[in-house]
Amino acid sequence: MRSVFETMGTVASIELAADEPDALDGIRGIFADAEKRFSLYRPGSELSRVNAGERPLAAASAELRDAYALAMDWHLRTAGAFTPNRPDGSIDLNGVVKALCISRAGELLHSLALKDWSINVGGDVLCAGLSPTGDWVIGIVDPVDRQSLLCALPLGEGRRAIATSGSAERGDHIWTIDRDTAAEFVQVSVIAEDILAADVLATAIISGGIEMLDLATDTWAIDVLAVRTDGSLLATPGVRSLISV
Amino acid sequence: MRTRAVLTSIFASVGVLVIGWQAGSAAMTSTQPTRTSSGTSGTSTGTVLGTTTATAPAASGAADGSYTGDDVNTRFGSVQVQITVSGGKLADVTALQLTDHDRRSVQISNRAEPILRSAVLDAQSASVNNVSGATYTSNAYLQSLQSALDQAGL
Repeated sequence: MRSVFETMGTVASIELAADEPDALDGIRGIFADAEKRFSLYRPGSELSRVNAGERPLAAASAELRDAYALAMDWHLRTAGAFTPNRPDGSIDLNGVVKALCISRAGELLHSLALKDWSINVGGDVLCAGLSPTGDWVIGIVDPVDRQSLLCALPLGEGRRAIATSGSAERGDHIWTIDRDTAAEFVQVSVIAEDILAADVLATAIISGGIEMLDLATDTWAIDVLAVRTDGSLLATPGVRSLISV
Repeated sequence: MRTRAVLTSIFASVGVLVIGWQAGSAAMTSTQPTRTSSGTSGTSTGTVLGTTTATAPAASGAADGSYTGDDVNTRFGSVQVQITVSGGKLADVTALQLTDHDRRSVQISNRAEPILRSAVLDAQSASVNNVSGATYTSNAYLQSLQSALDQAGL
């Protein structure tokens, strides 16, 4: 049973095995609370007020400081490729907040003993158990023709999350490290057990290019399908084996 | 006996390769100091005793064929390698198995390599539950493939 609602400037699609109004209300609440706190489009959000200098970061809520600390932690782990600090000095936590909310929504469903579900928010997916048709099969959009799929692959134990970032999103919360270098990838999909790692690393690879791609595949248990600017593809061994299933 | 000597030296080389790989990983995670290769390579030579799938040894040198080493425990998990001997010389080393501490299999090289579009498109027949793509706006969602899937599932 699928439910759809708008949040964070995009759309969330939740699939549950049965009608679960309480679970859906809980998930809506998680996203609504985060949007109220972190939105850069709402002048009254806590983060907007911090950026406007109306509130010092040190006096911000624990939720905001925790999210910033987490983003800075990933900044260090990706050698600067991922960053919550915009070139103009303001803080943008969109790179972690959506994934954090998806992660929390997953924990909520787990705590309600729901075993089979998927959460897709703006193209970032976390799933558990089985879909009505078996494995959760995820299609990856072809950035050259967004009405068609590049490939389809199953998620499962150990790789329950997939996040895709595109270079067209840059200017939103993605900036290349070397601003003179054109982006090497137009789209990067990262498959991981954890939606936050998948989302952060997909963003970092768009921003940091092939060097960050190699660092990411060497360091974390992830799989990657990357589309270069000429439309050609790079895939890790895991992606090759998944698409041949 | 010469066969044995060649095999021992080959597995010693493999031990060095494994250590090289460890050193590389250690540099990446930089959580533990890199061991000296001389100290560990002795251990590796001692623990790796191969089971062979080769035919009868030739008069001089190791017989051509594949030789599979035992599992070797490294601090990153257990590793098993297969070597190929050709013309009495080490021709190839393949990692057969490497598991991390949670006993999951991992690849020694997980790097992304070029793949043809046609190779990934072939697998498109499966029914798709969700679509992953760069974040769409609320407006763009209406034209997205995900929107079509959602309408089918609502």
